[in-house]
Amino acid sequence: MESSEFEDALDEWFIESLTAYKDLHVYQLEHPTQVIEWTSGKTVCVAGYGSSKNQLLELRLPLKLFAEENKGLCAERDFKLLHGGFSEGPVGCLRHVPASRLIVTNDGQGTDLQVWDLGGDDSDVIRRTGTVKGRESAPQRGSRIAASPSSSPQVLHGAESSSVQLTHLTSGQSLYKLETDTSDPLNSLQFTSDAVFLAGCSNGRIYMADTRVSAAPQMSPPPASSGQSAVWWTDATADPQQASCRVVRLSSSGHAVVSDLRKLGEAVCQAQLDIHCSSDNVTVSWAPRRNYISVSGFSGVVEIYDTCDWRMELRRVRPLFQHRGHEVSCRQADGCDPVCITAHVWHPERPQTLLSTATDGSVHVWDWVEPDSKGPESKSEPSL
Amino acid sequence: MTGLKRVFCKNPRLTELVRNGLCRCFHAEHVRLESSGLPIIHHSKYVCELPANHRFPMGKFPRVLHFLLKDQVITEKQVWVPEIASRDLLSCVHTEDYLNKFLSGKTSEQEQRRTGFPWSEGIVSRCRYETGGTVLAAEAALQRGLACSTAGGTHHAFPGYGSGFCLLNDLAVAAKYLKDDCPTKRKILIVDLDVHQGDGTAFIFKEEPAVFTFSVHCGKNFPLRKQESDLDISLEDGLEDEEYLSTVEAYLPWLLQTFRPDLVLYDAGVDPHWEDELGRLRLTDQGH
Repeated sequence: MESSEFEDALDEWFIESLTAYKDLHVYQLEHPTQVIEWTSGKTVCVAGYGSSKNQLLELRLPLKLFAEENKGLCAERDFKLLHGGFSEGPVGCLRHVPASRLIVTNDGQGTDLQVWDLGGDDSDVIRRTGTVKGRESAPQRGSRIAASPSSSPQVLHGAESSSVQLTHLTSGQSLYKLETDTSDPLNSLQFTSDAVFLAGCSNGRIYMADTRVSAAPQMSPPPASSGQSAVWWTDATADPQQASCRVVRLSSSGHAVVSDLRKLGEAVCQAQLDIHCSSDNVTVSWAPRRNYISVSGFSGVVEIYDTCDWRMELRRVRPLFQHRGHEVSCRQADGCDPVCITAHVWHPERPQTLLSTATDGSVHVWDWVEPDSKGPESKSEPSL
Repeated sequence: MTGLKRVFCKNPRLTELVRNGLCRCFHAEHVRLESSGLPIIHHSKYVCELPANHRFPMGKFPRVLHFLLKDQVITEKQVWVPEIASRDLLSCVHTEDYLNKFLSGKTSEQEQRRTGFPWSEGIVSRCRYETGGTVLAAEAALQRGLACSTAGGTHHAFPGYGSGFCLLNDLAVAAKYLKDDCPTKRKILIVDLDVHQGDGTAFIFKEEPAVFTFSVHCGKNFPLRKQESDLDISLEDGLEDEEYLSTVEAYLPWLLQTFRPDLVLYDAGVDPHWEDELGRLRLTDQGH
């Protein structure tokens, strides 16, 4: 792309962004990250995934984002580096342990976890404090991690459905082990309450289990899909105000299925998204307290969908909103791969705020403006 | 002037006739003869309704006037009211095609997105009054030495399209009109100290030797695709008062002395201020 064309595109997007976003802040990391994890309402952790030494960083978001009134009076507009450390290897997964200053990481290759202390006001160094051993002896991929919402520091981890366990971080004691008949590679581990969790497998299967009981987990088979050898990603709502928990499964061919946690085998609604993927960094995520889901990892765009528009019949749907900032601002040199989103998360409290990161090292925090109510034209198309 | 004043006091009808005549000489609905104070040009129609949550701070125009009056910086007697800029006036800068589309609501969705405003009759009206305000301010300045408008500075508008919250280029219309409204062409200097480059104005006067465009702006602010003013000073992010003022001081007196303009149009954008959400400079109240 010619320099002037690139500048034109950026200028055009800048003007659009003035009305599309209430706030938008951009930060550039020296090296890209695949992980973003909230460590408080205003701070996040990110970490590199290069082959050798990688930085772990705790960043504070621009204070201006949180100023409800008189935003112009808030001088702090930039991300601020609060704490930093180094990992000997790449970081493929990172979780914050609630009500603590601990994070747990996995390098995406083995199943052992690294435990870190983020430090407090007296230190700006993130220090490695321990290791948690995984169960697999010959893993083919790294572990997924879920931090228990209970008051005691515990993490659920594993690379496959047959090797998930709950480990107490302080004692190293294994508190629970998931027993399944098959070893399905995992794409997600997630607590839906203090003791109940979902293990989302890449083949679309979901296991649901309670760490307090030794009963066999409930298994839900993959959704019926026309896609052969599809890979699936899963997310569950964590909204205590909702009557029941909803689960979304998204395939690499763009088929999205929503189920009720109480009846995982049945679809409540579904949709065909216009995305195709061969990447490992796909994220599908429910918005806190909303019926929106966001997806990324298919391109340089984060897309938000309103599942209220979805029906039992499979239809193509269009996104409610697209964050194109990473794609627009990445200068594509000849022969280089286009930028791709590596991760995104919703703010746990602010309903319109998300963070996203991309392969070029960019980190965006954006407060999007909901488009006006749709006119006569529906966001859905006829059934497939 | 004193004799004329005595006539006004004694003959209200004559006063009205002369006042109307003066309004016709100026592009004004109302001119203030009784005050020798600095003319402040303002119209209540500088504002229009915008969609809910729109970022453009439309309220700033009446608020500027409100605080000038409240703080007794000026009195009501100094406020002149412009007339709406006619299509003829606008056509000295803007293309026929653009005016046709803009005035009748036929700009495309993409064109509207580029400006940051959805089209409405209100937005057309306010932009025309705003342009009329700048023209009147320039006319008043020629007569009185100095005048200000509470709105204006829409320097991203090009002849054929709007951009960046600018739909009509008020500075260009005023400069073009006043340059030619004189037996000998007037020389006009446009001093644009808004944090964004005056790209529209630069483009319009690129080949016009009688109008000198001078823009001091932050290099990394919009627009990234810069036009060529007669003199561009591109500043680094975060520049503060001292360095900013010394930069302006390094060029402006020299420009005034060498170009010797008959009229200076000063775009006094406040967005170099550190509190501005989008501007990347750090001027304080004192620096401004």
